[in-house]
Amino acid sequence: MGGTSSKLPKDLLSEYQELTFLTKQEILLAHKIFSELQGGENGPYSSRVSMQKILTLPELKANPFRKRLCHVFSTSDMKDGSLNFEDFLDLLSAFSDSATLEIKSHYAFRIFDFDDDGTLDARDLEKLVNCLTGETDNTRLTAEEMRQLISNILEESDIDKDGTVNLSEFQHVISRSPDFVSSFKIVL
Amino acid sequence: MAASQIMELTSSEDEDQDQIELEAIRRPHRAVKFDMKHANQEDLEAQHHHEPKHTNALHRNNWSSSTQRVLSSMPSRSIRFNQSTALSRSTKTRRRRPLSIVSTSYCATEQEVFRGQEDCVDDVTQNEDLLNKLQGLSAAECVRVLREMPLSVSEKRKIRAWFDFWDAGQPLSANRARCCHQFKAWFLKVLCGGCSGRVSQQKSIQIWQGVLKKISAHFGTGILSYFIFLRRLLHYNILLFFITSLFLVLPQISNPPSSKNKSEATAELWMLTGMGILTDSVMFYGHYGKSTNESCKPEIKLCPESYNIPLAYIFTIGAGMFITCVMLVYSISKSFGKSFRIFKTTGNLALKVFCSWDFKVSKKQSVKLQSVNICIQLKEMLSELSCKKQKRNLYSTFGWLSLHFLVWSICLLCIAACMLAVYYLHPYIEQDNHKLTKAIDWLKLPLIVSCISHLLPGFFDMLSRAEHYGSPSTQIYVSIVRNLLLKGCIFGVLCYYWLKKISVRKNEPNTSQCWETLVGQELYRFVLMDLLFAMSYIILAEFLWGLCIRNITLRRRKLEFDIARDVLELIYGQTLVWFGVLFSPLLPAVQIGKLFLLFYFKKTSLMMNFQPPRKHWRATQMSAFFIKLLFFPSFTGALACVIYTMWRVKPSSDCGPFSNLASMLLLGKKWIKGLGKSKPSMLWLSWAYNNLVDNPLFLFITAGLFLGIIYIHMQVLDGQKMIISKLQEQIDNEGEDKKFLIAKLQALNEAGAQQ
Repeated sequence: MGGTSSKLPKDLLSEYQELTFLTKQEILLAHKIFSELQGGENGPYSSRVSMQKILTLPELKANPFRKRLCHVFSTSDMKDGSLNFEDFLDLLSAFSDSATLEIKSHYAFRIFDFDDDGTLDARDLEKLVNCLTGETDNTRLTAEEMRQLISNILEESDIDKDGTVNLSEFQHVISRSPDFVSSFKIVL
Repeated sequence: MAASQIMELTSSEDEDQDQIELEAIRRPHRAVKFDMKHANQEDLEAQHHHEPKHTNALHRNNWSSSTQRVLSSMPSRSIRFNQSTALSRSTKTRRRRPLSIVSTSYCATEQEVFRGQEDCVDDVTQNEDLLNKLQGLSAAECVRVLREMPLSVSEKRKIRAWFDFWDAGQPLSANRARCCHQFKAWFLKVLCGGCSGRVSQQKSIQIWQGVLKKISAHFGTGILSYFIFLRRLLHYNILLFFITSLFLVLPQISNPPSSKNKSEATAELWMLTGMGILTDSVMFYGHYGKSTNESCKPEIKLCPESYNIPLAYIFTIGAGMFITCVMLVYSISKSFGKSFRIFKTTGNLALKVFCSWDFKVSKKQSVKLQSVNICIQLKEMLSELSCKKQKRNLYSTFGWLSLHFLVWSICLLCIAACMLAVYYLHPYIEQDNHKLTKAIDWLKLPLIVSCISHLLPGFFDMLSRAEHYGSPSTQIYVSIVRNLLLKGCIFGVLCYYWLKKISVRKNEPNTSQCWETLVGQELYRFVLMDLLFAMSYIILAEFLWGLCIRNITLRRRKLEFDIARDVLELIYGQTLVWFGVLFSPLLPAVQIGKLFLLFYFKKTSLMMNFQPPRKHWRATQMSAFFIKLLFFPSFTGALACVIYTMWRVKPSSDCGPFSNLASMLLLGKKWIKGLGKSKPSMLWLSWAYNNLVDNPLFLFITAGLFLGIIYIHMQVLDGQKMIISKLQEQIDNEGEDKKFLIAKLQALNEAGAQQ
């Protein structure tokens, strides 16, 4: 969808409204922000916005999972994390107020799956914990603590005992937390 | 398949089973795998028990290639979204079920088994499959199902285009049938008001949306829940205000009664005390007359048809309370559904790691703080797991019990002292024979009550810190209980005083006193003083004290927001308003103004003086808990007092709409009973009232039915819990089976390779 930079066609707007969890106002706002991001790119009709530009958004700038967000929602063939407008809508829809728990947990799983292999193994979990605890040295866990933490996580959530957490096990863990839906939200 | 071959082999080599010995491979950085040296069940269990900390996982780095292939094609490993399976699951039932995303695709490549999933799936057959399943659905259903699938928007649009294209080619009769179905669906949707989940349209026009987003960006979901609670209370008050003003205040304003006595037109601080001009205004009960045209003389102007104010009074208050009740119960049921989870006692580390990141926080400083908090919490949880719990001996148990007993008795004594103070400081007790002319005397009691209800809970919190509770959530619940007890007792004493003492006072022969107006004025003063005290508390204790703390302590610490205490303050204020609406129909308007001011004051103070919370606040659960508290005891207490007033307390005899009746509800009863005679067309209503509402048997039967339904639901819930635990056991057992089979497979492959 390259299109004109100012207006979103009405039928497209209603289609997006039906297929995503966003309201009309949210889609229009997303369109406005996306056009602003697009404006600086070379040529007004390049429909993809590069990852660096997306990451300048204030809602994503400080988020430790920002790069993974771009990679998960990007449908670009070059796997460079660039998003077109529909990918951007996908991102906002998954993080919106009315998205279901299944959608959110599905995308959360994909975001946490750093090597994109369909399961969360020990390496993924280690990277996840490092993202959560931050980059500075005094907030990282020691190697011993990390090992203990990962083995405890696998013990708690790995039901079929294959050493990795797959999507069903992940969703089973998530279903125990009522706070997940409210904390897995981004509002523009 | 390799697996079936193994099964044949093992069954034929039964006698060799005991001789199969697999060595436990120890990897230095991984956990120990299971040891198949002992084939006995007890030995296996003993080994499990012996090494409880290890993950006992099925993970080896040098499985043979055929084992790898089997492992990688297992459904749990090759999970990816399968559209048709998801569709079949979600269309089977209208109830929400988790989407099945187990794929049955088989990947032939060995090395790239975990990557390149798109190569493995046959897209064309999947899409045909999908279309077949979608055929049975209407367009609206199709859209709903598509929305809930985790595909990208472009893929969803393609599917929708195919569906529309296919749809257009259908014969006319099928179209007509679908048309009716669509109309029915649309009608139901309109009726249910968006039950299918499109209520998000209304959310975008909620007030304070931008401000709340800013708060959540800095402080996270916990503190946001306080402001959302405040907004919810605002909605309830706006609703109550609309109802009372439309049906009660406006008719009375448009036809004011002749003023019976020129009351003191000027009184100092009339706005604060509610006296003076406000006494005989629509603000309070005493102003309302029996009907709107009692002072209308037919020869002077055209008299409008009489609007029965007393009846309107009863029905307005009743309708307002009923609608508030329905809305509260609906909110409780929704939040209960969100917060109800079957919790395991262990297993919180995984939950913490997967669910604790709050994506709403977007300021860099707050993100850093969140990371630090999560790190500290993880370290605490790990250290708790590794160190053993101290065994309490008799001496320390006794000490712990006596400490708790001491603190509780101090708290209860304080509460009793406050109750006595409130009772005896009441101005009417002091008054006796002389009038209180100074406005400040009227304000003494509300000021003292506000002081007590704001400051004493802080004192209770300080005491509870000395108690060293085991978990922070216990501490929060105990402090909430103490706070509630305090506020409930104060409210109880006030109600007792008003309904028992003031209402039966004998007035002086010359002055006409409306006890209802007096009570209304008291409540008005309470609400206003609460606001003033809260604002001055914010200015003094938060701004000034926060400034001192920031500059004096070396670490420049800011204050911490006590969510529970502030929410209980809001609940207490709302209880007063719900009780006071009977005596002062415009009190909800005052409360609306109060909530607005409180919101902006609190928000400014929060931004300047507070830091993001250090402890994790379980927002969903605590919000559900506070809504329940709002319903019981706050709303039910106020409702009980209102019903008691309308039913048992004699209205004052010379003012107000119910001046010559024994109780307010008697008017309603008389009216309904007389309705049959005056308007024959409404005889059914009168009959219904006499035989259904007034008949205790009918009420017993309906109550019994409700209890029966609740019991059935509870039994169903228990049954489901049992099923869940049985399924959990089954999964564990199948995991054991899988481990066994894979190890056997590996052993046979190795044995085969050696030969």
